[in-house]
Amino acid sequence: MTDVARGSTPQVDKPVRAEARGQVPGDSSMWFFVIGDLLIFGGYFVGYMYYRGRNHELFLAGQAQLNLDIGTVNTIVLLTSSLFVALGTAAARVGNRAESLRRFWMALAFGAAFPILKLFEWIPEISRGLTPGKDLFFMYYYVMTGLHLCHVALGLVVICFIIRNVKESVAPKISFVETGATYWHMVDVLWLVLFALLYLMR
Amino acid sequence: MTALIRNPLTIVWALLTTVTIASSLIALDGGASHHINTTVTTAVLLIAAVKTFLVIWHFMEVRRAPLWLKATTSGWVLALFALLLTFYFASL
Repeated sequence: MTDVARGSTPQVDKPVRAEARGQVPGDSSMWFFVIGDLLIFGGYFVGYMYYRGRNHELFLAGQAQLNLDIGTVNTIVLLTSSLFVALGTAAARVGNRAESLRRFWMALAFGAAFPILKLFEWIPEISRGLTPGKDLFFMYYYVMTGLHLCHVALGLVVICFIIRNVKESVAPKISFVETGATYWHMVDVLWLVLFALLYLMR
Repeated sequence: MTALIRNPLTIVWALLTTVTIASSLIALDGGASHHINTTVTTAVLLIAAVKTFLVIWHFMEVRRAPLWLKATTSGWVLALFALLLTFYFASL
């Protein structure tokens, strides 16, 4: 990775290393949204733990019905997608558009696998009668993973916009790339907590 | 390719993936019977706390961000997992 385009893009948004700036990555308004979303989901997570504490048996019985294999694979899929977003951002920052584009396509491919795997998880569960109305555990399970899936869907659209930005612009807007990347990593962070609460804890 | 493998971000990812698999194995090994298990719960929640911190710090590049953002995001991780563990143990 070299600063190939550094000399050739003297316009606005020329590639600058984040460490040299010591600033908030991306748009700071995105960070306020991210912190707000983290706090809202934090409330759901603590609420889940509170209700779980009132009926451990019900929640443990619900957890026993979940597919830990798909949950684990989906966690790795999101982590891998996040890695490619981070690598793509780094490449865009030093002006390596071709490499950045490749990495964002990889991020999109892994990111798109998440909802597909989720369907493979949900459909057999719903057909077995494990619906949101079954009990409090499954209500939490579908509401929290469903809300998260909406974030994933929006994140995939954001990655598409990043790809368009990197592909069509001679000097991609780095702040736009970083802002989108921040959102996608937040989606990853939320899933890591959901995975521990819904699939792993006992 | 070698540069990609040696990239610090890839190393963070390898660590995240390894501990993800480890936490699933802990849940399978110690919690397959689906009874309350404080050791499994403490282990998987602490691993999740470390994972969320690593993603925020390295992928979201908070390690290069101003102090207020470092404090807010790290504070969220600490407060969330402290509350989760407190609610869990208080309910036993």
